[in-house]
Amino acid sequence: MADILHLPEEARSRVAVEERRREPKLGHRKFKRDRHKRIKVAFFRYCYYDPAFKFFVEQVLDADFLTLPEATKRTTEIGEQNSTDYVCTPFKHILGDYVEALEAGADVLVQFGGPCRLGYYGELQEAILRDMGYEFQMLNFSRGIEQGALGWAKQCLKTVNPDINIPAALPKLAATANMAVKLDEARDFYLANAGFERERGAFRRVWASYRDALRAATADRDINEAFREAMDAMRAIPLDKPADPIRIGVVGEMFTAIDERSNLELDEKLMAMGVEVHRMMNLTNRFIRYNEPNLRRSAADYLTYDMGPTSTLTVVAAHRYAQEGFDGVIHAKSAGCTPEIDCMPVLQRISADAAMPILYLTYDSQTSDTGLDTRLEAFYDMLSMKKEKTK
Amino acid sequence: MTLGYLGIDIGSISTKGVIIDEDRTIIARSYLWTEGNPTEASRNVVRELESQVADAGVRIVGAGTTGSARRLVGAMLGASVIKNEITAHAVGTTYLHPDVRTILEIGGQDSKIICVSGGIAVDYAMNTLCAAGTGSFLSSQAHRLGVEVEEFGDIALTSKRPANIAARCTVFAESDLVHKIQVGYAREDIIAGLCNAVASNYLNNVGKGKKIDAPVVFQGGVSKNAGVVHAFEEQLGMPVTVDPDGHLMGAFGAALLAADAGPITDAESGPFASGAFDFEALLDFDFKTREVECGKCANHCEIICVYRDKDIIDSWGNRCDKGAVKTTA
Repeated sequence: MADILHLPEEARSRVAVEERRREPKLGHRKFKRDRHKRIKVAFFRYCYYDPAFKFFVEQVLDADFLTLPEATKRTTEIGEQNSTDYVCTPFKHILGDYVEALEAGADVLVQFGGPCRLGYYGELQEAILRDMGYEFQMLNFSRGIEQGALGWAKQCLKTVNPDINIPAALPKLAATANMAVKLDEARDFYLANAGFERERGAFRRVWASYRDALRAATADRDINEAFREAMDAMRAIPLDKPADPIRIGVVGEMFTAIDERSNLELDEKLMAMGVEVHRMMNLTNRFIRYNEPNLRRSAADYLTYDMGPTSTLTVVAAHRYAQEGFDGVIHAKSAGCTPEIDCMPVLQRISADAAMPILYLTYDSQTSDTGLDTRLEAFYDMLSMKKEKTK
Repeated sequence: MTLGYLGIDIGSISTKGVIIDEDRTIIARSYLWTEGNPTEASRNVVRELESQVADAGVRIVGAGTTGSARRLVGAMLGASVIKNEITAHAVGTTYLHPDVRTILEIGGQDSKIICVSGGIAVDYAMNTLCAAGTGSFLSSQAHRLGVEVEEFGDIALTSKRPANIAARCTVFAESDLVHKIQVGYAREDIIAGLCNAVASNYLNNVGKGKKIDAPVVFQGGVSKNAGVVHAFEEQLGMPVTVDPDGHLMGAFGAALLAADAGPITDAESGPFASGAFDFEALLDFDFKTREVECGKCANHCEIICVYRDKDIIDSWGNRCDKGAVKTTA
């Protein structure tokens, strides 16, 4: 090979800009498929969406779904041990989930990829897990993204099941999206009302049975029926709700703002104090019905450019809560989440303009429950005293 | 005979206590080091408070606790109010200074800012992942320099040219400090620089994005340090008030909240069983904390149980009802 320094200038620049895509070298073994064996697919634990993941695997990919038990302290410990220190907390949680899934016999792991560093996590996690000695396939939606839906379809066929019946799978894909929407819709009602239930635990029971019903669903019809039943059951629960309750909006990054394990059950803690909780951030609003330019225009005083993955939604949600006269907003992010740190000066402006306090919470895997309780309790006390005084 | 209310603030470094009468004036005060033993420290504080009001014939009918050991000591005393330190500080300070707009507070391990408007707290912030520039940092640096932390303020005020010390992080501040000691800076300049660093670090971290309006009240243990007070006044460009009882404000707030809650009448056991606080009852018992690992599911929650002799009087730490521990008293 010619010494690169002795090439003519023109040739050297050509070498530098050469655009050839290389597959990452991750030591892939040739995947030998036993045609009689069903493939076991596992997702990481993410919020309350596991019925939708299950539906996707069973109905769209036509494979077996591996249901993970509740996360424990061990999950987080495994994740922490095998991750770099300064990676954001969701990475550690997800890695812990993957190890548990592989221990339970998963053949394929699924990673969404995403609009921030999350987009690189799939590959990194795959490399870490292979170094740990596990053998598996990774369905990473960061791959094939340049071809859009077609690229993703190719990934599914390649890694999970080459025999997917595509015409039959497409309506099921739409049903998966419907399930996510229906989960979010029910969750919104739950968050707004469960803090005022007369009998403690009534909402939680309905919510659990709703998710059970969705796990058993095989078609769109089942999903809609389960949703109707759950909503009827929740509306029938007797409430002791004051006319003007304390309303808090939760904003923040995709994982920590929603996922109960990551935010140490922020929702339940707030509702236990008797708060009406609202949260715009969910899969429906961020992906299924996401229209970034329109959202940005609704908060044009504060936003000129799209700042990244969840920034627009965070700012727009906080702005909307301020306009609707909410008592306060809680901003939840994992330590080192750059897009959400970028949002903070904007949130501070919204808070000052609307005289609406915002509590900023930063989580890492060491965040203590007690410290969180102290801050939430103080926030609640402050809001309720303010409310009483201004009555 | 007057009725009195007890307020105790058990912090990581010091334990503070007050007794207020029905007119909500402080009639007894105490301030002791926690020394890693919150139950013993609170007992000593209560004993000291008792001795101060022994001749006045005060019947203590209620108690409130705050600070990081509020739950444990609250269970021990049978307190009617167990409140977080942010609310307690806000309540205490706004009672004594009704016109205050901003409360700065730096304690042993935490620092917070409370914005007040019209006599009520409207916004607050508290340090989250980092405890840079709090009291324990100052006292460890005082130890390094061979001076008592109590003398820090007076020494700082004698400095003409304060050293410039990196303020962002205690680790950097410390290495910068060591460097400046080793190249021979005068001690008072280093100490003054450290006080400036504490103030600017506070304003850049906890106070970031908060509007600081006068009148400003500064409290917590570090407010006793005249050097830091001076640094705040310089950097904010406005006078900073330090109340002589500023270090007791959390305890005072807890006592006020206990007074709002009224006398305890329904205690079945504990120091308030007779309707008035019985100090002997506190001495008779032995309080212990034990950690139990719950085995009801795979999460293995650490459940904290507080025992009075052999009775469990309180427990917490379980994530679900499966791990709930019944109290036996």
